[in-house]
Amino acid sequence: MKKIELLSPAGDLERLKVTLLYGADAVYIGGYKYSLRANANNFSIDEIREGCNFAHKLGKKVHLTLNIVFHNEDMDGVEDYIDQVVSAGIDAFIVSDPFIISFIKNKYPNVEVHLSTQNSTTNYESIKFFENEGIDRVVLARELSKNEISEIIKKVKCDIEVFIHGAMCTCFSGRCALSNYVTGRDANRGGCAQVCRFSFKNDGYKDFTFATKDMNMAAHIGELIDMGVRSLKVEGRMRSLYYLATVIGTYRNIIDDYYDGILNDKSMKIYQERLDRVANRETSDHYFSKEADYEDQYYTGRSEVSNQDYLGQVISYDKENKLLKIYERNYFEVGDTLELFTYDGIHKEFVLDKLYNCDMESIDVARHPDDIYYLYLDVDFEIHEYSMLKIVKKGRV
Amino acid sequence: MKILAEVINKNNLYLEIVDGIILPIKDYSVESVCYFDIDEIISIKKNTNREVFVKINKNLFNKDISSVKEILQTLNDNKIDGVFFYDLAILQLKNELNLDIKLIWNQTHMVNNYRTCDYYYSKGVDYALLGKEITIDEILEIIKLSKIGSMVEVVSLPSVGFSRRLLVSNYYNDLGVSGDKVLKVKEKITDTNYDVIEDENGTCFYYDKIMNGTGIIKDLYNNGCNYIIFREYGIDDFSELLSDTKEYIDNKCESSMYIDKYKKLGDSTNFFFKKTIYKVK
Repeated sequence: MKKIELLSPAGDLERLKVTLLYGADAVYIGGYKYSLRANANNFSIDEIREGCNFAHKLGKKVHLTLNIVFHNEDMDGVEDYIDQVVSAGIDAFIVSDPFIISFIKNKYPNVEVHLSTQNSTTNYESIKFFENEGIDRVVLARELSKNEISEIIKKVKCDIEVFIHGAMCTCFSGRCALSNYVTGRDANRGGCAQVCRFSFKNDGYKDFTFATKDMNMAAHIGELIDMGVRSLKVEGRMRSLYYLATVIGTYRNIIDDYYDGILNDKSMKIYQERLDRVANRETSDHYFSKEADYEDQYYTGRSEVSNQDYLGQVISYDKENKLLKIYERNYFEVGDTLELFTYDGIHKEFVLDKLYNCDMESIDVARHPDDIYYLYLDVDFEIHEYSMLKIVKKGRV
Repeated sequence: MKILAEVINKNNLYLEIVDGIILPIKDYSVESVCYFDIDEIISIKKNTNREVFVKINKNLFNKDISSVKEILQTLNDNKIDGVFFYDLAILQLKNELNLDIKLIWNQTHMVNNYRTCDYYYSKGVDYALLGKEITIDEILEIIKLSKIGSMVEVVSLPSVGFSRRLLVSNYYNDLGVSGDKVLKVKEKITDTNYDVIEDENGTCFYYDKIMNGTGIIKDLYNNGCNYIIFREYGIDDFSELLSDTKEYIDNKCESSMYIDKYKKLGDSTNFFFKKTIYKVK
């Protein structure tokens, strides 16, 4: 049985490497043009090539989003662009425009084309249309129930991909131009200003938003595997390295444990807690188990939670001198209980005894984000670049 | 260039004025305020020599497919003049059922370039209802360069977003109060108003400024646009607007008089004269 794909977002080359190292089977990225995250860092052609080389060496894949809704002017140069990214090594395109689908499949029949969730595909007949056009995979709309997804999988031949984690749109994807009207920013060409999260006024009542809670499908991964879903997609090309490492690493654990038959309530509780710790909004499974209702929305009373668990990213580990070199992200001090986690799946908790600044002077507090610090840590395993540090408990035990 | 209308009252279809009407079908269309069942549609078609188009523009779900098949067959058998579709299942079903009925590509915010219009034309789609978030120059370029027939919505309260969620009911549930299914809200930063209307298929956002495209009608006419569309929801004196536009197109009234008169619809010309942006850094 082919193992389900874990598909991660990557807003830049560093995120691409980190998410693949932390367990993604494939990443989806955007180029400088034609992507629905026009304001992410995105990838140059050279960076796409480097990213593809990195992924392919690990036996993994890179998908490129080409999923804007094209205007006349956007068509200029798109064919050359497709040629360039194919030669850079892209494994699949994520596309919403059927003209682009037919162009790619006619010219590059061996390159996969995936239908973007921007098309909000909600039924099997619509998928049959795209199968006739040569589509290899469809990313389903996020508005579908378990039964609806299951029926679609039974009735179509192409691969099915579903979102499992991250932010949700209030409207059907592709069927919202609120951003255009409120801010002039084109929602369907990568400029969405997320107006559904803006504040609205209704006379006589408190100001409110139309915002949705985020999606978290961790509890349903086994069901999705058993249904025959081909790929599990995480949202968030503009999310931080720490967030992506945590979310992708955790879903990697859940998927592997499920296939190994060792996923249980206890381990699931730990995984869910990890996901909850990096969430800045409440989560739900939206339409999967029931019709989404008011409990899946934020109307009033919500504030963004800023997560300060993340302390720093490992640059290297000097095994001989037991020194961990890190970039700091958030304040911590000697006596705090920290957790080191690695893409090998190691989670090591320790109390920080000794801390040094970049000149190797002993200090008590790491207070400057982006500075380099050294931590004393005596372990007998390798610690690679891109391992992460987070806080477990403040102060001495 | 023909005039089509989408109305808000089943008892006043303006058939004596327009060239055709658009009837949103009950249960399978959205972003409208007046829906017709299949019997009403067939009856209207049988009793008029005007063109009758049907709108089936909701995102269809598996459970809708068998009913939609029957509806398409019935519409085809009764010589309905065309079906506005959003979901590609409609195009697939037309092919599967080998129907003759004309189709109009009506993916609200997506009908924005001539090459994709041509793609749909090559798949047997007859017309494209062009997007409302593109400029008049882009519209005219599509009309000029694409083989597909063209339709342009020129006067309406624009529908700007559609959700499967029951956002108005949910909102009142959250507040713990009851209310009707129409919410009038103001976005605070830009101070713009929206009508948020919910029915059993979901919730539609309408921008509460009339899209006044009366000033582009002659450009559309001169460049070979096939149909212009007027939607009655939110528009006063709709009958007069339709009659005046008919005379304007037929050169039976002074252009300046028509244009001046319909300044009363307001100064929102949507995106006809301004481009959207998408890179902010």
